[in-house]
Amino acid sequence: MTGNPVKTKRTFREWLTHLGKRIYLEKERYILILPGIVWYIIFAYIPIFGLSLAFRKYMAKLGMFGSPWIGLKNFQRVFADPAFFTSIITTLRINAGRLIFVFPFPILFALLINEVRLGRSKKVLQSIYTFPNFLSWVIVASIMINVLGQRGLVNGILSGAFGIKPIAFLGKPEYFRPVVFATDVWKTAGWSAIIYMASISGIDVEQYEAAEIDGASRLQRIWYITLPGIKTTILVLFILAVGNLMSGGFDQIFNLSNSATLKVAETLDMYIYRITFKGSVDFGFSSAVALFRSVINMLLLIVADRVSKAVGGSGLLG
Amino acid sequence: MKRLVSLILALMLALGVVCAASAEEKQYDRVTITYTCPQVVAGYDYNAPNGDGYSNWILGKFNIDFQGTNVSWNDWMNNLVTWIYAQDMTDVAIYNFSENTATTATDIVNQGLLFRLPDDWKERWPGVADVYSKTSLGPMLEELYGGTYFIPRARFYYNLPGDPLANHWCLWMRADWIKAVGKEVKHSYTIPEVIEICKLIKEQDPGQVGANLLPLEMDTGNAASFFLRANSTYWDTFYKDADGKYQWGAAAPETLEGLKLWYQAYKVDEVLDPEYYLLDHEKDLENFQTLGIAGVSYLGGQTADVENYRKTFRDRTGHEYEDFHMANLLGADGYYHQRDLINFWGAVCFKPDVDPAVFERWMDLMEWTCSKEGYPATSMGLKGEDWDFDENGEIISLIDPQEVQLAGAVGEAKYPSLGHVLGSVILWDDLAMDNPNIREDLRDESKLLYKLRTDESTPETFTKVDWNLYMNGSEELLAVNGIQYADEFSNMITTATSEEELVNLYNEWIESKQAIVQPALDALNK
Repeated sequence: MTGNPVKTKRTFREWLTHLGKRIYLEKERYILILPGIVWYIIFAYIPIFGLSLAFRKYMAKLGMFGSPWIGLKNFQRVFADPAFFTSIITTLRINAGRLIFVFPFPILFALLINEVRLGRSKKVLQSIYTFPNFLSWVIVASIMINVLGQRGLVNGILSGAFGIKPIAFLGKPEYFRPVVFATDVWKTAGWSAIIYMASISGIDVEQYEAAEIDGASRLQRIWYITLPGIKTTILVLFILAVGNLMSGGFDQIFNLSNSATLKVAETLDMYIYRITFKGSVDFGFSSAVALFRSVINMLLLIVADRVSKAVGGSGLLG
Repeated sequence: MKRLVSLILALMLALGVVCAASAEEKQYDRVTITYTCPQVVAGYDYNAPNGDGYSNWILGKFNIDFQGTNVSWNDWMNNLVTWIYAQDMTDVAIYNFSENTATTATDIVNQGLLFRLPDDWKERWPGVADVYSKTSLGPMLEELYGGTYFIPRARFYYNLPGDPLANHWCLWMRADWIKAVGKEVKHSYTIPEVIEICKLIKEQDPGQVGANLLPLEMDTGNAASFFLRANSTYWDTFYKDADGKYQWGAAAPETLEGLKLWYQAYKVDEVLDPEYYLLDHEKDLENFQTLGIAGVSYLGGQTADVENYRKTFRDRTGHEYEDFHMANLLGADGYYHQRDLINFWGAVCFKPDVDPAVFERWMDLMEWTCSKEGYPATSMGLKGEDWDFDENGEIISLIDPQEVQLAGAVGEAKYPSLGHVLGSVILWDDLAMDNPNIREDLRDESKLLYKLRTDESTPETFTKVDWNLYMNGSEELLAVNGIQYADEFSNMITTATSEEELVNLYNEWIESKQAIVQPALDALNK
């Protein structure tokens, strides 16, 4: 008779030895992820300590950690400025719109590209749609002025063909968000689709063959095989996007906005830029705003993750 | 005996030459000096053999290896202040001192992030000290900081046009179009007069420009200057009222009046560029000067450039100098409005641990630019080749200014390095008043415009600087510094669909800013 093996608790030393052995055995993989880990440590984790500036009066000579503590004084200033709260609402509006109007496009694009049968056409199309991603927002904004300006291409066509009075696409607050979403889709959809296409390529081809034999149409194959196959990827990216609801897109907003769209364009990032570089420099104040943004982002990330789990999907945080 | 006398004489002569040379030319060891300013020509090597005749000569004279860092105009202060706080600034930099940047400057000084000049610097470099004393700001900062950290560069030294000092900003107008629509070409116009002229230009299109015609062309910043600054002296700051209490200029009736004029020009008369808010820096200048499609703009009118602007206009549009008219802009009340410009632009500062040799070399260079020979050279190039003194000691030009362009872009100018970068503490505005390379009638017109700005104002509309406000670094004032007045007012103009709505938007905005403005007022009135 064999009894259940008795689980003994490992000591910390044993645990370390075990970990060391595992790492040694899988050393090729660990070497591959090492640059990523180093990047995260340098650019994501070490800067976290800089957030302590939110509670300090920054004195360059004393350094980040030697500057005197001033408690919540920076936050008091932040919360006294009505423009700060307006910028939060503006940020949420734009980023929620992005989730609704921009987020689905790469998925759609990946699904469509996946259906292109000729390999060469597929590559050409993919290259064409990926190319805008490599243009800076400064260039995209210049292109937009030439395309959407009152003396631009679109207005030229509208007035020439239909006699419509020039429309200020770039100068009306009501057009600002649609322009942001449209340019975002144009610039990033092709590039963002790559991750979905990689996910699609991981789906077992036999499923498609079986479906085809069973007489499934293309749309049915997409609906019943491809989409469920990439559901996890979609969910993970969605959770990450929700976690970025309070930030992101500074370059785009900065370059596409102007004084006419000021009220709908001052996102939290733009607010931080304005108070830091257009007013009097105060790194403590800017850090307080940034910290507030990060905390809200983290909360949103957790909420999205939990909701995802609750509706039967997978979560990022286990 | 004769030989011996000759030998002694020759030796004495040689000794005399050596002594004279060493008295004139201080011998310097080579130093490398790093420098930050938006006027540094990007990508240009100022050092021999790559530089131009002037930079090679001046840098050779002071034995400097010059490493200039160009920063864009927009990012000038962002970059410089970040570098200063990061304790990573260049040896020498030009700080863009203004009402908005003064408090940051005070913080930087208080934190010991800039070099404090030795107490005897004025004795060691008396020429620089004399220019410094004329800048108003320099001595004021010295008193406030208890030492010298900034050396403001003087706009004027010999030719100060007035106190308070007027800005050079002025109307650029198409004189041929003004005449064609039956209006008078004169030296000053009120804002409503300009709008009226633009309306006629729009209706009659005297230049046959067609759909591209821009009767009134200016970007957001210049539009705010045109409609608000020219009408309301304190439109973007605080001021003391008759009772000596501080008030907010944005809430003053003249500001709202200017705003209504802006609305009228944009939405009612439709003379202002329909997409003025999209114009990049100097695009308005290009539309007037290069394309010739604008009727009126509001741009720089510094004496040093009054002929260059016209030359470019003539060369690119085919029109004559006379078709390009410069004039003063008056408020709707008929008075010239401005706050004292203060006699400086940009202040020299040094990094806190600057090498003493570097500091002294740069001070020597600045001292030379204040000298009788250095002062003209910074604008006119090499003595003996481009200019000289006549028998009466007056500056004469040795070039034909119509043929030779001394300063300007690489590939176009004889000396791209010429200007304020290589040590000037007296800016071009000063010599420009007497510069023989600029047509005399244009210089006279420029002087007249400066004079009229004073004549057509009152002490209430053209005011002296309020140092208490200018140097106030309280947290309450810092919070107000972040208001982007031009953009905020412009937004009201583009948003409003009627004058009534404009007034409502304005009132709502004034109300919304009270949370940060009232504490600032309380602090000022304490």
